[in-house]
Amino acid sequence: MASKPESGPSPAQGVGPLYRPDGEKPTATVSKEVSYENVHVLPQTPQLIALLTMIRDKRTSRADFIFYSNRIIRLLVEEGLNHLPVVEQSITTPVGRSYLGVKFEGKICGVSIMRAGEAMEQGLRDCCRSVRIGKILIQRDEETCMPKLFYDKLPTDIAERWVLLLDPMFATGGSATLAVETLIERGVPEHRILFLNLIASPSGVAEFAERFPKLRVVTSFIDQGLDEKKYIIPGLGDFGDRYYSM
Amino acid sequence: MESISPFCSLSTEVRYSPPWQDLSIIGIAGSSGSGKSSVAMEIVKSLNLPWVVILVMDSFYKTLTSEEHHKAHANEYDFDCPESIDFDILVETLRDLKKGKKANIPVYSFAEHQRQSHTTTLYSPRVIILEGILALHDPRIVEMLDVKIFVEADMDVCLGRRVLRDVRERGRDVEGIIKQWFEFVKPSYTRFVEPQRPISDIIIPRGIENKTAIDMVVKHIQRKLQEKSDTHTQALRELGLIAAAVELPSNVHVLPSTPQFVGMNTILQTPETEQEDFIFYFDRLVSILIEKALDMTSYVSAKVETPQGNTYLGLHPKGTVSAVAILRGGSCMETALKRSIPDCITGRVLIQTNEINEEPELHYLKLPSQIEEHAAVILMDSQMSSGGAALMAVRVLIDHGVEQGRIVFVTCAAGERGLKRLTAVYPRLNVIVGRIEEEGEPRWIEKRYFGC
Repeated sequence: MASKPESGPSPAQGVGPLYRPDGEKPTATVSKEVSYENVHVLPQTPQLIALLTMIRDKRTSRADFIFYSNRIIRLLVEEGLNHLPVVEQSITTPVGRSYLGVKFEGKICGVSIMRAGEAMEQGLRDCCRSVRIGKILIQRDEETCMPKLFYDKLPTDIAERWVLLLDPMFATGGSATLAVETLIERGVPEHRILFLNLIASPSGVAEFAERFPKLRVVTSFIDQGLDEKKYIIPGLGDFGDRYYSM
Repeated sequence: MESISPFCSLSTEVRYSPPWQDLSIIGIAGSSGSGKSSVAMEIVKSLNLPWVVILVMDSFYKTLTSEEHHKAHANEYDFDCPESIDFDILVETLRDLKKGKKANIPVYSFAEHQRQSHTTTLYSPRVIILEGILALHDPRIVEMLDVKIFVEADMDVCLGRRVLRDVRERGRDVEGIIKQWFEFVKPSYTRFVEPQRPISDIIIPRGIENKTAIDMVVKHIQRKLQEKSDTHTQALRELGLIAAAVELPSNVHVLPSTPQFVGMNTILQTPETEQEDFIFYFDRLVSILIEKALDMTSYVSAKVETPQGNTYLGLHPKGTVSAVAILRGGSCMETALKRSIPDCITGRVLIQTNEINEEPELHYLKLPSQIEEHAAVILMDSQMSSGGAALMAVRVLIDHGVEQGRIVFVTCAAGERGLKRLTAVYPRLNVIVGRIEEEGEPRWIEKRYFGC
């Protein structure tokens, strides 16, 4: 059975290619591990850790923040797309040889949770040129303090598509849960939703994974936890602010 | 009983000798104005190969002291005696080149009578023509020469040519030239130049006009080059046989066949794919390879503070990561490279495979300066079949001071035999391969990418 991640700091370990002796691997904090089958954490390679280090650093300029987060987003999208179905296809190559390959199956679309999720659209387009992108605006209701759906614009045939749901920071999962419920309401089966995010909190991931067992979460890092303001720690600050305005 | 040496791996090390390791040197001596340089140039012109070069001994003139400098300007300095040439540096240069290393050739200014601070680099010639009045003077050099040539001409003709050349090309006045001729050039001819004549293999009278003699030398060099090329191709073939038995080492990474990766490879290999789509999927695929290659580079632990004041122990890249594209195939990968490192310092090396004997040939080379200090060098080629070009390119980097373990060779598709051959020779080389292709696959990716 799935286990909840332990609280406390994320593990620190030597990071580097397998063949390299341990003494030559610099130490860094890596993602917490979770054993939910529907949660996929990107391999904790030194280059991924270095990219995350850049976007966590408060001294990183906005231009660099955008550049390095786009690189991580592309890795997330590439990993996410691997969960989409393919069918075998045999072809004859330009040099007349036969190659047993695959063909992509099924239509996809992106859905970004405004506004931070929109920052991930460029990375998605870098991998899927003419992908359709829907938007969802969720804000905290001033009275109830609960997330509330303010606006959505989704492809009309979304029920027939695979959905890549985009939101960079996965803290409590409040907005994401509401977004998923909205998608399911529009007829998207749970198993055809992939939720891509850069940094997740252990509790957010755990609750989400249990609530939507068929939905897949792809993240680059599961952080230590949440602070009293429900911010991910160590986190990277407000993603939307750092990407759009800071 | 025989015990097994713990160092057996060292003795079985597989070596690759590039064709420039076995350099041939042809010395051309003769009086000033005898037509040595015209003969040398005529030989190079008739061969018309980038790896046959002329090394002019004038580059090795010693820098003059201020006293000598005054003398030189008054045309009272003897430039024709052996003492004026820095034979030690010349010998060292030739020895380096013989070993296949790169050599820095001094640049001498005739107007200032001194060596310039910059040097020119000479690397990977297969044949050098050493030309200078005293090319056959120093026994250490004579010993290294494959062919010793002495060019002769009537002394009056020599003087005439010298006057014309020095006025036109070296900005000197006639009076000074004449003074120098009778005071130094002529006596030096009798003392040092002429005695080289008996030890030469070929004497070419009338210099450049002597087509028969030049033709003979050209034929000789052509034969030598053919031998070198045969040895090189044979050595490559043998390396393939040795390497066939070994396993791929753990520093060779073949990318996992994920659905997206196989899907992209399918689109790329479908002949009907539009060129626009080909470029899009190729760039996307190479981006993944480049990100993977960056795992092989160096990092150091780094503690950073987040905007909320939390600390995170992460990594920072250590040192410069540069790239070298093996032309033309490697240049397809630059778009993707720039996606990860927009300002990546990039060198290029043009290695062409000879269509007749399939020998890789180094035609052009432009590497970033201080490449030996870079933390990692990503070497790119879109495809690798037998691995001849890659073997040569890695060797070029090593010859320029890049440590083997710092090189990451990235290719979209490679033959297994070629990979084994490459890693047998360079066991510490990091390799990222997109897909293992069938043996002997011709290069086609670059044609599709560039559309020609």
